[in-house]
Amino acid sequence: MLVIMLTCGVVLVLTGAAFFIYELFTFRDITKRQLNILGEIVAANSTAALAFDNNDDAFQILLALKAEKHVVAACLYDKDGRQFSKYPANLPDKNIPAKPGPDGYQFRNSYLEGFAPVVQGSNRLGTLYIKSDLEAIYSRFRLYSGIVFIFIIVSFIFAYLFSKRLQKNISSPILDLAHAAKRISEYRDYTIRVSKKGDDELGVLTDAFNHMLIEIEKQNLDITAFNVNLENKVKERTSELEGMNATLKQQNAFIETIIDSSIDLIGVFDKELTIVMLNKHADEIYKIKREELIGKYLLDGFPQLKDSDMFRDLNKALNGEIVRNAHYKSPISKRHFENFYIPLRDKNNLVYRVLVIGHDLTEMMEANEKLKLVNNELEKSNRDLEQFAYIASHDLQEPLRKIQIFSELGEKNLQQPEVLQRYLNKINSSAQRMTQLIKAILNYSRLYNAENEFSEIKLNEVVKAIKTDLEILIDEKKAIIETGDLPVIAGVPLQINQLFLNLISNSLKFSEQSPQIYISSRMLTENELPTEFILKNGSYVELIFEDNGIGFDKQYSQKIFSIFQRLHTNQKYAGTGIGLALCKKIVENHNGFITAQSEPGMGTRFCIYFPAIQRADFHSDLISKDLRSV
Amino acid sequence: MKNKIPNKAGRFVFKNLMAGFLILLFIFFAFQMQAQTAVPREYQVKAVFLYNFTQFVEWPAAVFTGPSEPFIIGILGNDPFGLYLDQTLTGENKMGHPMIVQRFKDVKDISNCHILFISQPEQESEALAVTKSRSILTVSDISDFLSQGGMVRFFNKDNRIRFQINPTAAKTGNLIISSKLLRLADIYD
Repeated sequence: MLVIMLTCGVVLVLTGAAFFIYELFTFRDITKRQLNILGEIVAANSTAALAFDNNDDAFQILLALKAEKHVVAACLYDKDGRQFSKYPANLPDKNIPAKPGPDGYQFRNSYLEGFAPVVQGSNRLGTLYIKSDLEAIYSRFRLYSGIVFIFIIVSFIFAYLFSKRLQKNISSPILDLAHAAKRISEYRDYTIRVSKKGDDELGVLTDAFNHMLIEIEKQNLDITAFNVNLENKVKERTSELEGMNATLKQQNAFIETIIDSSIDLIGVFDKELTIVMLNKHADEIYKIKREELIGKYLLDGFPQLKDSDMFRDLNKALNGEIVRNAHYKSPISKRHFENFYIPLRDKNNLVYRVLVIGHDLTEMMEANEKLKLVNNELEKSNRDLEQFAYIASHDLQEPLRKIQIFSELGEKNLQQPEVLQRYLNKINSSAQRMTQLIKAILNYSRLYNAENEFSEIKLNEVVKAIKTDLEILIDEKKAIIETGDLPVIAGVPLQINQLFLNLISNSLKFSEQSPQIYISSRMLTENELPTEFILKNGSYVELIFEDNGIGFDKQYSQKIFSIFQRLHTNQKYAGTGIGLALCKKIVENHNGFITAQSEPGMGTRFCIYFPAIQRADFHSDLISKDLRSV
Repeated sequence: MKNKIPNKAGRFVFKNLMAGFLILLFIFFAFQMQAQTAVPREYQVKAVFLYNFTQFVEWPAAVFTGPSEPFIIGILGNDPFGLYLDQTLTGENKMGHPMIVQRFKDVKDISNCHILFISQPEQESEALAVTKSRSILTVSDISDFLSQGGMVRFFNKDNRIRFQINPTAAKTGNLIISSKLLRLADIYD
């Protein structure tokens, strides 16, 4: 009720104030305008009086202001600002400004006063001063104040009576309802009811409120029962799910164990070739943690697979084909696999993933390779053996046959000592030759079992030593042996010595004039190697061995390296037929290769290829040699 | 700051010059005043009144043939105003027509004018005959002027200059005299 009264009061006072202020301004404005008009009329009438200097007439005009009782003073000034006429006539001069001020009206000290120009045509003839009291405004305000005050009092009385009645009929039932609602929301007590005060709208509202409470109470009970039921069901389902989950987990773990225990590499890729899964075997093969690979695009994980069979086969499998690749060499692990690419299909029978199973064949392949090598060796030695058997049967039988024949002939000529002597000599020389042959064969066969260590060999020194050994023969034959700058190679010293000895001996032997031998060398690149050279990796050293000997027909250039192969009779050039075979064997033992080029009577040229030892060593050796020679 | 000092000095010199010039002007005007004392105060007031009449009387538009044509105050016979009237009218105009003074010796000299002041009684009747029913405001001091058909007559009353108007004569000349002017005047009928 107090609020209602206060609101009423404030509204009334504010309205009154606004009304007052509005009135004040409008009335001030009106008063000012009225005085302005009055001034203009008087000024317009007084032009002639001022122009013709007629005070009496001017006073008569001012006297007309009597009609407006609020005008308390007026005055006319001439063109030069001198007082010309005033109203009322007995007004003391101090109540009038001595000189005209600027045109216009102003409120000053509870008076409204101002100056108006006196103008005829465009000529200013003087100024009118006029002063009015504000009694008109004040009396009006007194009237307004009285009305507003009475109005406010009456309004208050009405407001009081009205609010009292309002409170009785409306406020108190609403307050009861509000109080009940507050209690309900505070204590959640839906048993509270509100007592009904009357049969009006508020009575209906109270009934509705009570009815609502009854409904809420009933529903609350239902909800509680429902909740209990629901909770039980949830519990039941939860325990069921937990059980299922545990079983599932167990199964998953079991399957994972099986997959991880597989000795095959197992992986799954999706349609974008993202790695979905890899088994434990991958860790060992790729030497990388599979957690880092899973989820990555295949080529992001292994960029080296870009043009690989695997990439191609995976795409094939994604198109629905089951692919088997029995000879896959992984660019990642360098291992051999037999790979199976199996498309995995979803329930719409569309391929959505590919299962890859890689069976590691590396160990088997390696064993195979070894087996092949051994087989090759075996085949070769078999061939050698066959050749050997053939040659042995042929060449070794030759002296044996001679011994047989001459011993038979000796038997028949026992009586002739000179003839017998001659036959015995023949038998002896055949036996000696036999011994020579057997020694040579032993030498040759020993090369097979040689497990000699390689070491650095300075070829210039080898040649030098041989020249010393063969000094007598060289002098006898008047031979000249020249050597270029020969390299240092890796080899078995005894065998290399044998190689050079055989070659030099050959040249000394197969010559009809004084032999000239020239040995030189150069470094070769792979491309410069002869076409028949099989092992073409790394750089090689070429040794060129030239002489001016009897030479041979070029059809024999291969044959001469076979064991017991001889182009000349024993009488013409003595020999076992094993020397060059031995040379070939030695060069092959050093992973090298030997060729021979010749024309009869044009000398022979042997080219020997050895793998170069590391260039740095080779060069440092050359440099140190140069320094020595300086 | 620096260049303000010569400025101040300049202003000072200028002020001094102005003061000197004003003193010279004052002396010049003093002489003028001396000269004008020849014109009695009575005619000074009448000269101003002649000018003031122009503001309270309306001439028909037909009296001017062009916009820059002057508004002429004519003086017939002896000129009692001297240069005073000319000075009063300097720079003034009536509806945009610059005001000038013209002096006529004889009645036959009267050409175009808008106010005619007649000073000598011997020319009165002749002049009024010429100006009759023309839009010329005739003014004079002569006592029987209005009865002879003149429009405005000056007279002295209590040592003040007053005037008498003959509205009938003015109406014949198609001149409209402001009621304000008539209020101040003695009306002759």
